[in-house]
Formats: sequence, C-alpha cells, structure tokens
Amino acid sequence: MGVPKIQTVCGFGCGSSLMLRMNIESILKKHNLKAEVFCGDVGTCCSNQCDVIFISKQLSERISDRAKVPVISIDDFMNNVEIEGKVLEYFNNLKK
Amino acid sequence: MKELISSANIKVKVSVKDWKEAIEVSGSLLLRSKKIRRKYIDDMIKAVIDMGPYMVLAPGFALAHAKPSPDVLENGLSLITLETPVNFGSKNDPVKVILCMACTDNTSHISVLRAVAEKLMTDGMIDRIASCKSVQGVYSLINE
Repeated sequence: MGVPKIQTVCGFGCGSSLMLRMNIESILKKHNLKAEVFCGDVGTCCSNQCDVIFISKQLSERISDRAKVPVISIDDFMNNVEIEGKVLEYFNNLKK
Repeated sequence: MKELISSANIKVKVSVKDWKEAIEVSGSLLLRSKKIRRKYIDDMIKAVIDMGPYMVLAPGFALAHAKPSPDVLENGLSLITLETPVNFGSKNDPVKVILCMACTDNTSHISVLRAVAEKLMTDGMIDRIASCKSVQGVYSLINE
C-alpha cells in the first residue's frame, strides 16, 4: 500500500478544510508519518478518490451514508490534541 | 511581515442580537472595503442555514464564508469580536470571535488564510483576541 490519501472536507473545500489540512500536516510531520492531504467539499467529497475523510462532526452526518471510506469526525478544528489523537488512531489501525 | 487583516477590516466589541447579525456585521466590513458584493453576505448566512453551524470550528470561534463566486471582487478577510457572545447552535457555542473570509477561487487565498490560521491556532489566542478592547490590540495580535 502506498501513502494514504487523506481528504479534509468542509462546506466549500476552501475554508475550514484548509485549516484542518494544515493541522493534520503538522501532526504528520511531528510523528514522521507520510500521507497526502487534500481539501474537498461536502458535495463532491464522496466521489474524490481517497483512503479516509476527516470532516467536522456536523457535516459528517451528511456523508456517512454515502462515503466509501472511513469518515473521522472532528469536534474542534483547532484542538491539536483531538486531531492528533484521531490521526494517530487512524495510522495505528492501518498497521493492524 | 505582510499585513494579514487591515485595521479597517477589524471591529471589536460589536453588539449583535444573533449569529445572523454577527455575520452581517463581519461581512459589511468586506462590503465597505469593496471586497464583495452584498449578495455574498446573504450567501454566508444561507450556508449556515443550509449546512448547519459547522463553521463554528473551535470553542468561541466561527469562520464565516461562502463559496467562491463572482460576488467576491477580491480576496479578503475581516475579523470581529462580540460584546456579548452569540449561539450558532453548535457544540462550540457561544461564539465571540468571527473571521469572515471571501475568496475569488479555491486556491489564491490559501497562503493568507494559512498565516492567519497559524496565529489563531496558537493556544489561548481566541480568548486573547476576544478580550482586546481596541482594534489596534487585535491588529497587533494578528499581524505582528
């Protein structure tokens, strides 16, 4: 398996998804993990090829039925502890 | 350092009755500085109604924006703090700092938003911004 593709998603793919992408990228760097991170919007995210979706809690309900990949919901986009925990959990599950 | 948000686009301790008025005020700063047309403000309010208050990204903080459109004349950011925090219906309520963003496309604003986001994500920054009594105070926190 190659590098995981992480999609961060918000309403339009240009605001909060970017903040989330920044946070995830800095966590990856800190733990020396490799992934490709890109932004998407809630309307089209399910048809973008990726291995996992990180999304706000509220929006996750809109895609949970449609998504073909694991959907990880985030409560606080600025809480590095929460995001770090969820990113590391995702990577740990990959190893299993 | 390059100015991220101009002092004309910052307003502190604004009194509003609800979240709609808060978005209205933050958007009106961008309207006044000719970054957007009026319709963009309505689009931001509609986005919250349509998609729920997911834009309340962190405790006390909302990023108000709509999708890039012809109603955005130029990329722009404004920031307001509220005299009395308002609820958006989010787990991260009540909101006291609102960053309002307008972008002409999906990519050209990224470097500025990235720089502002880095500032805002510093521990305790939202509270420090919220407690500023002057535009100058907020301006310094964001731009210096």
